[in-house]
Amino acid sequence: MPDARPVADPVETLEIELEVNGRVVRRSVPVRRLLVDFLRDDLRLTGTHVGCEHGVCGACTVEVDGAPARACIMLAVQADGKRITTIEALSSDGELTEMQRAFHRHHALQCGFCTPGFLVTLHTANPDDWPDEHAVRELLSGNLCRCTGYQQIVQAVLDAWGRAPGSPATTEATG
Amino acid sequence: MGTSARIAGHDRSDRVMTPPPDTTNPAGYVGVRAGRREDRPLLLGRAQFVADVAPAGMVEATFVRSTVAHARVTRVALDAARAVPGVLAAVTAADLQDVAGYPHLVPWMKEVNAFPLARDRVRYVGMPIAAVVADDRYAAEDAAALVEVDYDELPVLVSVEAALADDAPRLYDDWPDNRLLDMPAADPDVDRVFAEYEVARATYRMQRQSASPMETRGVVADYQGGRLTVWASAQSPHILRTTLAMMLGLREADIRVVVPNVGGGFGCKVHQYPEDIVVPWLAVRLGRPVRWIEDRAEHLMTSIHAREQRMDVEAAYDSTGRIHALRCRIATNVGSGEVFIPGTATTLVSGGCLTGAYAVPLTEVSLACVVTNKTPSGAYRGFGSPEGTFAMERMIEKVARRAGVDARDVRRAMLPDPGDDTFVTPSGGRLGAGSHRQAFDRAAELGDQALATARAAHAGDPRIRVGLGVVPFVEPTGPSYYGTTAHWRAYDSALVRIQPDGSALVGIGVQAIGQGIESTTAAVAADALGLDVDDVSVVSGDTDLCPYGLGAWGARGAIVSSGAVLKAAEIVVSKAKAIAAGLLEADPEDVVVDRGRLHVRGTGAPSVTMRDIATAAYARTAELPPGTEPGLEATVSYDPPGIDLEPDDKGRMNVAAAWSNASHAAVVKVDITTGAVALLDYIVVDDCGTVINPLIVEGQITGGVAQGIAGALYEHVVYDENGQPLSASFMDYTIPSSREIPPMTIEHIETPAVEMPLGVKGVGESGTIGPAAAIANAVGDALREFDVDIVATPITPTSVLEAIHASGANT
Repeated sequence: MPDARPVADPVETLEIELEVNGRVVRRSVPVRRLLVDFLRDDLRLTGTHVGCEHGVCGACTVEVDGAPARACIMLAVQADGKRITTIEALSSDGELTEMQRAFHRHHALQCGFCTPGFLVTLHTANPDDWPDEHAVRELLSGNLCRCTGYQQIVQAVLDAWGRAPGSPATTEATG
Repeated sequence: MGTSARIAGHDRSDRVMTPPPDTTNPAGYVGVRAGRREDRPLLLGRAQFVADVAPAGMVEATFVRSTVAHARVTRVALDAARAVPGVLAAVTAADLQDVAGYPHLVPWMKEVNAFPLARDRVRYVGMPIAAVVADDRYAAEDAAALVEVDYDELPVLVSVEAALADDAPRLYDDWPDNRLLDMPAADPDVDRVFAEYEVARATYRMQRQSASPMETRGVVADYQGGRLTVWASAQSPHILRTTLAMMLGLREADIRVVVPNVGGGFGCKVHQYPEDIVVPWLAVRLGRPVRWIEDRAEHLMTSIHAREQRMDVEAAYDSTGRIHALRCRIATNVGSGEVFIPGTATTLVSGGCLTGAYAVPLTEVSLACVVTNKTPSGAYRGFGSPEGTFAMERMIEKVARRAGVDARDVRRAMLPDPGDDTFVTPSGGRLGAGSHRQAFDRAAELGDQALATARAAHAGDPRIRVGLGVVPFVEPTGPSYYGTTAHWRAYDSALVRIQPDGSALVGIGVQAIGQGIESTTAAVAADALGLDVDDVSVVSGDTDLCPYGLGAWGARGAIVSSGAVLKAAEIVVSKAKAIAAGLLEADPEDVVVDRGRLHVRGTGAPSVTMRDIATAAYARTAELPPGTEPGLEATVSYDPPGIDLEPDDKGRMNVAAAWSNASHAAVVKVDITTGAVALLDYIVVDDCGTVINPLIVEGQITGGVAQGIAGALYEHVVYDENGQPLSASFMDYTIPSSREIPPMTIEHIETPAVEMPLGVKGVGESGTIGPAAAIANAVGDALREFDVDIVATPITPTSVLEAIHASGANT
């Protein structure tokens, strides 16, 4: 698929073709339609959540060609030709991933609204790039959680990545 | 009625998750650190939230909101909006003739006469003026942008000082002033004590904050066959139904409120907002399902705010720092006051809980809720306690400094002796059994250790100062709703039904909002019914199925839900034993229940299963003992004991079922060149009585502390002098991330509440109460050499630098 199709005049809708969770989807969408609305309302993939609609909270995080992206500030037409993975496809056959199991064990979710965004961010991360608790907190800082205070999320990530929780003294918060 | 073949793909683990074997408590499920049954669908992205509800034929609503803070609305022009393709309706208050205004429930408040859409006056930016419905939200917002509103602007009040001025313009023309609630106090005994002792005075302020759950509010409504179904992200589904019935003129029985997963509430979703009324009205009027999902800007501008409060405190103290009398004038900036249920009760709690567990013999507390041209304020986790605790703990520091004594000694001396369960607060709170001084001492001990580590780590850095703040506090839990609503008090309800297969269905009136109430209720019910926890289903959030309840707020769920479930289970178990006795030809008194089996007392005795009992109760009813009715269920309400219905002759009353206590210790470092405050350690020693599930309790605490830290250091709803909100996005309203919130240390002391079910006290709001006070005291401690007084939150780099400079220090 070409990266961009030449468009002579302004149009209201465009045909897009993309891969979502391993399946090819072809739809005509309004050019102003947000990717998150396309995923949630058109494809009924409602696991991706809308928390702020301005790209801050991270609840809408999806994987686009291997990298995390905020579906609330990306247009559906920008996803043309891309490969998208949402929370629904992180696990198969209803089997929880190691990270999802760690979230359960550590009580890393309460209301669970932000959880898909955290899990997709983590899914796209290479643990080697985030070697200690301080780095993990940095990685997670693009996703807001209002319930947990982050403590249990950090513990779950360290556990799932096979690390012992760091001592508090090494992980002071940055003001 | 045997077991049928299993459908491929059927997996009960979708609904329940068994705790790992090593955490199973042989004595039962209560007390076990167990993973939650709620988690699995949330982790898989399969849980349904209100924005995921999409009935066939659904259309979407959006709201036109006031762009000015105070004005008469002289004209609303809808024609252009109605002409947009895809638009089904555009309406104003004039179209809502068949809707009643919000009821006036509370006689000690002035009447606000709030209406879901502005009739002729707007009193805050964001007040809804018109609603537009279209095929989808894009079209609705296009059309809403074409609605023209003409305003005749009025003077704007943004501060309590301006609103209380003698010549202040009035928000409500028929009121004599801008006091929505006014409870002045005068006590000659207090005057006498003040004449005898040294007096310290200060004015403390907490800033306006937003609950901001990650899921905003939302409503979907559908009217079919004479019945209205409303899906809402709400904390009190039954009270929402009652409100809808009152305002829409429908029978309560013709309304079903369904609350799917709630993406956090924290108090802001206990209120019944304009959209909660208008969207169902639109669904009835249009005969189409209608959805409205709040966006974040709307949330930050129009969902209730909280905490903006001025507290003028005076303390009469002796040379040891002991406080003999306290005077406090509280003025809460409640915004326009146009909110239902009313938002005034946080002020009562601030005043009523001001002195916590401290033995201050005399207090005189005046309360005022002052209306301004800001968004209405209301319930937010902590509900007045963070504000009062901040003022009290800052005043103790001030008194100790002036008396030249250690503030820690002052606190210890005023806390109840260990074992003293007779303590009564000046406002009448009977604290019961607690661990006030033990928790304080332990938090101080852990705080001292953390401070020593911090000192060592930062010794020699001339820019850095470290400090420690340790504060004790109490949390009223399972409180009465009377002070808020003049209705309802503290009860809640439960349905316990043994199903025909011998498993249990438990329906509760407390709402699941992410706090894990389904898991905790399942543990309590499984123990009470003698069932495996996986054989207990828990349902909340459906007014057709669940008995009437007051919802999730006030750290009440563990108390009132447990109380109701235990009461219902007792009835069910008693009947199950009678049926078992019939089947086993034994005396009911001799039947015991144990994990799904009922047997005659003694080893090797014959037994039947709960499934056998259920089969007899529902199918083989001929096997029931003579006179026993078929079926096996009970629906009961539970009203916790100990709550006073009337104040005594001194105006005192106990308004909470239980009082939990905790002490928090914060260790901070302050960069004196930038004013930046960083939290190094946060320590919690908590006593919420019997812990049902430590995993869940700790989650409540860490999350509550994070919100408290957010209020102490980061979050601030800001308005300019024209009443324009300046913090309507997460770029400006700065919710802390994993980088700002430090690791926390939590320890529990369990002092069971004698009269409460299982000995539990609530814990849901506790975490938010301590941080502002503990962090302010820690910053004050770090900056001791500058003799600064932290009198307001949020404590920002600017405010710290200003305080240092005001002290005259040259840094």
